[in-house]
Amino acid sequence: MFLALKEIKHEKVRYGLIIAMIVMISYLMFILMGMMLGLANENKAALTTWSAQTVFLNKNANDNLGQSVITKDQLADHSLNKHEALVGQTATVMTRSKKKAHKESVQFIGLDAGQYIAKDNMPLVAGRHAKNKHELVADESLKVKGYQLGDKVKLNSTAENYRLVGFAKDSQLNVAPVVYGRLSTWRELRGAAPQVVASGIISNQREGASRFKELAHYPIAKFIQKLPGYAAENSTFMFMIGFLMVISLVIIAVFLYILTMQKMPNYAVLRAQGISARHLIGATIDQAVILTITGICGGLVLTLLTAWLMPMTVPLVLEWPLIGLISIILILLGGIGALLPVRMIMKVDPVRALNS
Amino acid sequence: MSVIKLKNISKDFGKGISKVQVLDNVNFTADLGELSLILGPSGSGKSTFLTIAGGLQTPTTGTVTVEGETLEKLSTKERDQLRLNKIGFVLQSYNLLPYLTVTDQFALVRRIKKIGNMSQEELDNLLEELDISQLVNHYPDEMSGGQNQRVAIARALYPNPPIILADEPTAALDSNRVKIVGRLFKDMAVKHHKAIVVVTHDMRLRDFADHIYQLMDGKLTMER
Repeated sequence: MFLALKEIKHEKVRYGLIIAMIVMISYLMFILMGMMLGLANENKAALTTWSAQTVFLNKNANDNLGQSVITKDQLADHSLNKHEALVGQTATVMTRSKKKAHKESVQFIGLDAGQYIAKDNMPLVAGRHAKNKHELVADESLKVKGYQLGDKVKLNSTAENYRLVGFAKDSQLNVAPVVYGRLSTWRELRGAAPQVVASGIISNQREGASRFKELAHYPIAKFIQKLPGYAAENSTFMFMIGFLMVISLVIIAVFLYILTMQKMPNYAVLRAQGISARHLIGATIDQAVILTITGICGGLVLTLLTAWLMPMTVPLVLEWPLIGLISIILILLGGIGALLPVRMIMKVDPVRALNS
Repeated sequence: MSVIKLKNISKDFGKGISKVQVLDNVNFTADLGELSLILGPSGSGKSTFLTIAGGLQTPTTGTVTVEGETLEKLSTKERDQLRLNKIGFVLQSYNLLPYLTVTDQFALVRRIKKIGNMSQEELDNLLEELDISQLVNHYPDEMSGGQNQRVAIARALYPNPPIILADEPTAALDSNRVKIVGRLFKDMAVKHHKAIVVVTHDMRLRDFADHIYQLMDGKLTMER
């Protein structure tokens, strides 16, 4: 540690540049991870808020809640328990009626006011729950976009006016804000036949496929993976983060290799003095770890600054356990990168000390 | 008492027609309390002699014994330990670590070899004697060649090894400094009971030597 710290302190520019590169790599990794989590959250936040564990859809719905319709016939032999709720989903354009005509693409979710989601799993950040068909509760992100309690809005091209009476916490689905209303409104927006009841059934319990034999059964993890674009988006980000990890490994290894080559005459002197190769290898690994940790700290500071300055509309979620995991992986990669020059250090010829 | 013995040492480099014999059946002993001077022109094999005596490389034939231990029988780790504890090198090109101040050069030795080094008072006296006590916070690139050379000498003496092997230690020094270093080596040999072997072509050191050897064309002959 002594040699590593002294050298970094003396060669500030050289090591500063390496640290700067690690700062940029870790910063990029943290931001990409934050965006991945942010987008993932915008895809499924409402499901998390509903504590959804199991989803039932029409068997022909191609795994998509928005495409699914459940009819009265399919539920004829069943009554829903207190852990289950009917949900009607449709993509909708919401337009502010009076002020500047502002259009917003939203996911309309129709609920039964007597079932568990509307009763217990729709926490509000402002306002109150809807009391009748003409009242809506919108996701809090719409509040940031300028919508206010009491605003009158229209849904699609229907002539009916609705009033926003509350803003709900963490209610986004398929990367769009959710607007909660009644199932009857959903039926109107979908133009659904009278026998259609909802898009699907959400349960906050783990239920088996036998619960509704006529319907397709999805454990929540499987359902989330089937959300349109979710898996592709996540794997793209994972690939980018993975590539960045490989790049950081190569950069650290190459820099340490070059630096070690430049220090061979010094190492020869130390070897001539009887300082073991093990000690020199330790110093090199220490140096890699110090550089990586310093770079990660810098990347973290930049990430926090970015998160602070970023507009609320940009999806960025920082999860400390994941940041910690990425940091540990980066430190390990730094250590592995330092192993590249080890062979060179082990073979350093102390006779070079006399000839240098 | 002999602390270094070189017996029938030969060293060849290369093979076939490119083979060069640098040392030819060299015999040498160095005793505690004495300063031995190996004189010879450039290319005479002085540095090779020193590296073999210090266990940095092995001879083609012959044996080297340091304080009773035959170097050829020691593992790399054991040779490292032997150099760390028993041999101090003063090298021609100073070879101080560029990123350590003078103080840190000694601190590094202290971190590796935790016992048996000079006391702080002895080190202060040594730095005073070598006229480098004012340079303790300087980096090598902030000092002259002569100052670097004197720091390198102090660094070699600091771990208190019984043997000092010096390669052209006065090459960068003026005559006054040569006298100081010569006297210092002589004092270290006599007062601190060390075996000091200096390879050089600097005739100014002759006055301080107990024994003088000539190395010419790989053959070592005793002059005094």
